[in-house]
Amino acid sequence: MSETYDFLFKFLVIGSAGTGKSCLLHQFIENKFKQDSNHTIGVEFGSRVVNVGGKTVKLQIWDTAGQERFRSVTRSYYRGAAGALLVYDITSRETYNALTNWLTDARTLASPNIVIILCGNKKDLDAEREVTFLEASRFAQENELMFLETSALTGENVEEGFLKCARTILSKIDSGELDPERMGSGIQYGDASLRQLRQPRDTTTQNKQQCNC
Amino acid sequence: MEYETKSGRAGPGDPTSPRQGVRKNLDFEPLSTTALILEDRPANLPAKPAEEAQKHRQQYEEMVAQAKKRELKEAQKRKKQLEDRCKLEESIGTAAQIWNQEILPNWSTMCTSRRVRDLWWQGIPPSVRGKVWSLAVGNELNITHELYNICLARAKEKWRSTAVPSTETEDVLDSSDRESSLELIKLDISRTFPQLCIFQQGGPYYDVLHSILGAYTCYRPDVGYVQGMSFIAAVLILNLDTADAFIAFANLLNKPCQMAFFRVDHGLMLTYFAAFEVFFEENLPKLFAHFKKNNLTPDIYLIDWIFTLYSKSLPLDLACRVWDVFCRDGEEFLFRTALGVLRLYQDILTAMDFIHMAQFLTRLPDLIPPEQLFQHIAAVHMTSRNRKWAQVLQTLTEQKKSGARLSGAEALS
Repeated sequence: MSETYDFLFKFLVIGSAGTGKSCLLHQFIENKFKQDSNHTIGVEFGSRVVNVGGKTVKLQIWDTAGQERFRSVTRSYYRGAAGALLVYDITSRETYNALTNWLTDARTLASPNIVIILCGNKKDLDAEREVTFLEASRFAQENELMFLETSALTGENVEEGFLKCARTILSKIDSGELDPERMGSGIQYGDASLRQLRQPRDTTTQNKQQCNC
Repeated sequence: MEYETKSGRAGPGDPTSPRQGVRKNLDFEPLSTTALILEDRPANLPAKPAEEAQKHRQQYEEMVAQAKKRELKEAQKRKKQLEDRCKLEESIGTAAQIWNQEILPNWSTMCTSRRVRDLWWQGIPPSVRGKVWSLAVGNELNITHELYNICLARAKEKWRSTAVPSTETEDVLDSSDRESSLELIKLDISRTFPQLCIFQQGGPYYDVLHSILGAYTCYRPDVGYVQGMSFIAAVLILNLDTADAFIAFANLLNKPCQMAFFRVDHGLMLTYFAAFEVFFEENLPKLFAHFKKNNLTPDIYLIDWIFTLYSKSLPLDLACRVWDVFCRDGEEFLFRTALGVLRLYQDILTAMDFIHMAQFLTRLPDLIPPEQLFQHIAAVHMTSRNRKWAQVLQTLTEQKKSGARLSGAEALS
């Protein structure tokens, strides 16, 4: 059970009921479509170690219940999330209209720096589409979200969605925009990176002490 | 069910039994190879000396004696197994008889007796389960079959009116909200025990489940439909006729703990979790510390367990046994069961980190040994410093109230 990784990211999967949040997670973890799916009560979990830009990252994914009524409960799970998949169903305008509420919750409760990717799921049901790609991508731009249309059924863009989100977080760490050591960043160092980090950090503190003398 | 798994396990573990069964009928006949020792040597070899022949006869007799002893022992063991099996079968049969003939007709006088409580713990026979649940849950709300039919008729009217877009100028938000609740019921029914293939569209119980949930939203519009309800209604439908299932459903949801959860009264839910943690620390201090260290809060696993009364997280027959005692002991038993589950898997959990524990608890193993789980539940003590569940819960509720008053006063001053 001991895995080595450079970083651990806490991810959320949020969005209205029946948009396919659990199926996206299942497709990402198991590489197949979850046929007999239950609805999530409260929260369920998944985790997977992925390779992004030469780093190993463990994704700890919190898959939340979608019903509006549960929001007071699921809100408490937002704290300390580094990334989120915000999911709507391209065949249901209602789930698209609810996006603003989910987005506000994520930005205020998780962290203003949370990296969010908008996922228009059920891409395979194009004949029943109620939300066009264009308007959703415009919404994503206006709200500074990444955007993909996904299909938990075929697996199209599912892995890409999670990886894109992880990649963006990593690049923000590299550029210094995100500080993994800040409380509630949703990012933790894994064993692998701790070993590398401890060495230089010890020397810098020593240097400081010398300077102070 | 339990009986079948037991007998199934005994079968493959004893592959020689059929042959021994045949031999037993012939009193005792040695295996052919054993008796070769008695035969004379082939003609081209010198004959056995009398001494050797005597020795062989003696050896043979010893072998026979030993084999006889072994067989006798095995026969006794088999007989015991068969007796146990018959006893178990008989006990299920007699239990059903006792429930039907003695307990149910004298329910009010007998239901609290020691004997009935013991029988109850062992699991209610499926044939009387629904009746016992109905009686134990009661009908404080005085719901009649007629009232159910009225609520159902109203629900059906609503379904019809929302199917056709109305031109009435109603409160737009309100109507769309109600509509989405009806849509959500439809969506969730297909996602309720999907593996049973009976509640899905086209399945035999689709309409029944749809009716009960719809009727409830008309009976209690203030509560409406909340995810998790479909599992409770489904388990009741499997054990009761539709109208009686509705009566049990509405009364069950009206219990304080269920009302707190299905109204998603977050403050009250947190009080329940806090009470749970008091007993958690008391019963499993090591695991409790491990959970604390890893920031694994009880809401993460309890929400699903309490909302669906374990029907989603435990195998259905085991969940029904939990329901049996829940009907007997009330909400306290739901939290006791949770502690039983944690106790059963204590060693596994202690070796896990946050994410593995969270995954394990929100998705319990497919095979959970029922007797073992119930032994662990039985070992959980529901007293903390001489206080019972209800007292602990009440104290916490009062603390919360006075705390809120205090902070309110602080804010004013």
